[in-house]
Amino acid sequence: MDTLLTAEIAANAPRYRRKSSTFIDGIHDVSDNQGKLAPAQLYSTMSGRLFHSGRIAIVMVGLPARGKTHISVSMGRYLSWLGVKTRIFHLGDYRRATVPGGHVPEDYFYPNASPASMMLRQKILKKCREDIYAWLNHENGQVAIYDAVNPTRSGRIALAKEFAKHDVQTLFIESYVDDQEILKENARNVKISSPDFHGMDPDEAASLYLKRIETKIPVFETMEEENLNFVKMINAGQAFYYNNVSFNYLFHRIVFYLTNLHIKSRTTFFVRAGPATDEDSYKADAPLSEEGMAYAEKMTETLLRHREQERQASIAQGGPDVPLRPLTVWTSTRLRTMQTAEPLKRMGFKVRQRSQMSQINPGVCEKLSERAIRALYPEEVKKHELDPYHHRYPRAESYHDLAVRLEPIILELEREQNDLLIIAHESVLRVLYSYLMHCSTMDIPKLKFPRDEIIEIIPAAYQNNAKRIHIPGLDPRTIPGSPEDIRIPVPGDPSANLPPIPGMSSPEPVDVAVPRPPEKIINNAKETVSDKLADED
Amino acid sequence: MAPKMNGFGIMPEDTRICVVMVGLPARGKSYIAQKAQRYLNWLSIPAETFNVGNYRRHDAPHPSADFFDTNNVEGERKRRAAAEAAVSDMLKWFKSGGVVGILDATNSTKERRKWVLERVASEGIEVLFVESKCDNEELIMANIRDVKTTSPDYVGQDPEKAAQDFRERIRHYEKVYKSINEDGDEDHLTYLKIMNVGKKVFINRIQNYLQSRIVYFLMNLHIRPRSVWLSRHGESALNLEGRIGGDAELSHRGEEYARKLPELVRESVGSDRPLTVWTSTLKRTIATARHLPKHYNQLQWKALDELDAGVCDGMTYQEIADQYPEDFQARDEDKYNYRYRGGESYRDVVIRLEPIIMELERSEDILIISHQAVIRCIYAYFMQKTQEESPWVPVPLHTLMKLTPRAYGTELQTYRANIKAVSTWRGKGSTAKHEDPVPEGGI
Repeated sequence: MDTLLTAEIAANAPRYRRKSSTFIDGIHDVSDNQGKLAPAQLYSTMSGRLFHSGRIAIVMVGLPARGKTHISVSMGRYLSWLGVKTRIFHLGDYRRATVPGGHVPEDYFYPNASPASMMLRQKILKKCREDIYAWLNHENGQVAIYDAVNPTRSGRIALAKEFAKHDVQTLFIESYVDDQEILKENARNVKISSPDFHGMDPDEAASLYLKRIETKIPVFETMEEENLNFVKMINAGQAFYYNNVSFNYLFHRIVFYLTNLHIKSRTTFFVRAGPATDEDSYKADAPLSEEGMAYAEKMTETLLRHREQERQASIAQGGPDVPLRPLTVWTSTRLRTMQTAEPLKRMGFKVRQRSQMSQINPGVCEKLSERAIRALYPEEVKKHELDPYHHRYPRAESYHDLAVRLEPIILELEREQNDLLIIAHESVLRVLYSYLMHCSTMDIPKLKFPRDEIIEIIPAAYQNNAKRIHIPGLDPRTIPGSPEDIRIPVPGDPSANLPPIPGMSSPEPVDVAVPRPPEKIINNAKETVSDKLADED
Repeated sequence: MAPKMNGFGIMPEDTRICVVMVGLPARGKSYIAQKAQRYLNWLSIPAETFNVGNYRRHDAPHPSADFFDTNNVEGERKRRAAAEAAVSDMLKWFKSGGVVGILDATNSTKERRKWVLERVASEGIEVLFVESKCDNEELIMANIRDVKTTSPDYVGQDPEKAAQDFRERIRHYEKVYKSINEDGDEDHLTYLKIMNVGKKVFINRIQNYLQSRIVYFLMNLHIRPRSVWLSRHGESALNLEGRIGGDAELSHRGEEYARKLPELVRESVGSDRPLTVWTSTLKRTIATARHLPKHYNQLQWKALDELDAGVCDGMTYQEIADQYPEDFQARDEDKYNYRYRGGESYRDVVIRLEPIIMELERSEDILIISHQAVIRCIYAYFMQKTQEESPWVPVPLHTLMKLTPRAYGTELQTYRANIKAVSTWRGKGSTAKHEDPVPEGGI
């Protein structure tokens, strides 16, 4: 697949979005599985809308570098995960689609802009607004997230009125930041890749960038409109102010999510637990085997080396010479995951156990081979093949059950400010990965996490990026497939070694005998949106 | 499931939170406190309220307003002693496995808040201040009326005198009251400030997930007076055969109940003010709501559908006992956690009902027409029934229940339609299809 072409299309045709598999973050995909349930959806309705909450427009408010896009995308991710039909409309996408390169006239944001600039602005706004109404009216959309600056009071009041006329409730979310440190950090993280700042001291570049925003958007009024429904998120989640948000279940849900969200950047790593002495038993909770101990050591070594390499690389590219963000480790309460974290714990890293992260319960399939399951429960196998995500074997949990059980973890994941290493069973990794990378429910039970790889998820405002880091020198017997998996047959699973992020066109065969470079980037979706990162919207 | 796991899977040693109420009297603090406790217990999180007033009543059972005058040295001493006693009992309770302790008192000065914070935080417990601030006279008066009739301080007193005394008491508090961070020097506190019943809300420095969960719940609360009505659907064709689940039509007696329901509701409401009606998506509840007045808004919720009995759907208890004897027994042993093959457990139902509970808390007068297991779960929430009790609560057919949340607990009234119906209640270990429940708690 040609990523450059994809980026081109994505940038130039806002209504068209890529259809990816698990290849890259699917948060901007147009869903083609109408009627399919989302990972944590509890029920469905005929209208496709949930919670009797009607249609909602979430309107972002805030100057550039306040984390608006990050908030919109995260919220879209969470709502979709709950099953609420949500789409994000970045006004910047429309600007880029209308004006080559997104380079708007200097007076574009001025209140007294030239007629030509005004016309251009109107044209862009109209196109975006039309798409929002089309989504809500004709595609059963429930929530439209409108990501733009929306700087003026009068503009916001008019917008709420217009939406109300279309029978859409409006919730404004302002990201308000007056903490200079947070501002600089945001500016450094998001905007520094712009060629304008090339070779400049990062702090200086950040200050220059912030100053440029001020001249470019001279009028910005923070939200104080008594009659509008709004949430003001102050200094990246340190405090919140809510006005009139108490009338709609979905609003509350959104508010709850926001309470846990922060807009600082951090990385999540996923790894499997090492092999245990009694691989097949769910109930036994066996300790790590000898190979398992060796695995824990090697994984730890690879991870720490990788983090240091990343830091050096960032410095080499002109990044600041700052210490690494602290790393927190989460394991389940299963012995093998805790023991896998042991080397890190000895080194002084904080390890926390989360009981909800226990593996999927195999129920009657405990210790059964696939053949035995087919022989004993032919009816169940049939049902399972039809809907591997929602079906549960007798006494077992379905992936859906697991996702619902993991919801608190999702919110805590958003809350965590340190880098995070999650050591868990493959079934748990599948569900958490699907949240961060927005996978469809059909794909989730098929995701594979071989033991010789650390998955790194790097959040970016527009979409998350996934990397795989190879752990060299492992005993080949511990790597392939999923020996501690419950062996529930999964349809359409041609190869046990399908990586979670299938590579370009043909995935490289996993051959453990051939040493690979310690770090292998299968996909760095950053390239696909590089033009967006440098954009000022 | 690990034995220590609760609804959030937060292990007790992970997080312990002391919720410290702040606000003048008659701002709904006790109401908020007991609501939070109810909600957390319903989700299997150990929570307990420590009401300083209850401790104070040991020493001063029916104090007059001047007891609360800050210049009253004796009163001040006794109130301080009561706070000490409440806090030290709460800390003891935390040591025995408590997760969320709620300190219900006015805590209306900076000094008092500082003292509580230091006392509690030194034990490694997080402190979340929750302030209810209200300047809407009407709401305050409604609260005063409620308190003077239900507060133990005014038992057996003339209501008018009580109201006057209570207002006097409030005035004493107003003299020293400081809203949280009013002076800008309490910004380091973790707090939730609810102004005029949720019209405006401010939250500061929320530290973790459980705190955010509590805050989320409290934001859904309001303190306007209201009631919730619960009814099962009218008797169905499957009820007659003693079969569970299914999606059957009403029996003729069930139909009779549906016709009688509007009258029963009017009698219970006492006026023509409209209710909002929530039904499940199954025929029998929709049919039961059919004859209610046209100006009642009706909504169907999938989440109100009956507990899914999986493979046992449409079977009698006898058939289940015959075909799945082990399951049948397992269900009796732990009915709350037992999940039907391919179906749901009561715990599953509670999880899917959470949006309904939130929505209920936000709404005013609601009539819910649903099914036995679902009504049991909602009933358990309002009446604080334990996991052991809730799946066995008898909820007879053709009976309307009215639940009215009050500052010190929920009031229950039942209205019988006097239309015969089969009993669908089943005692532990029994397979009888038409059994009469042991009368319990009024229903």
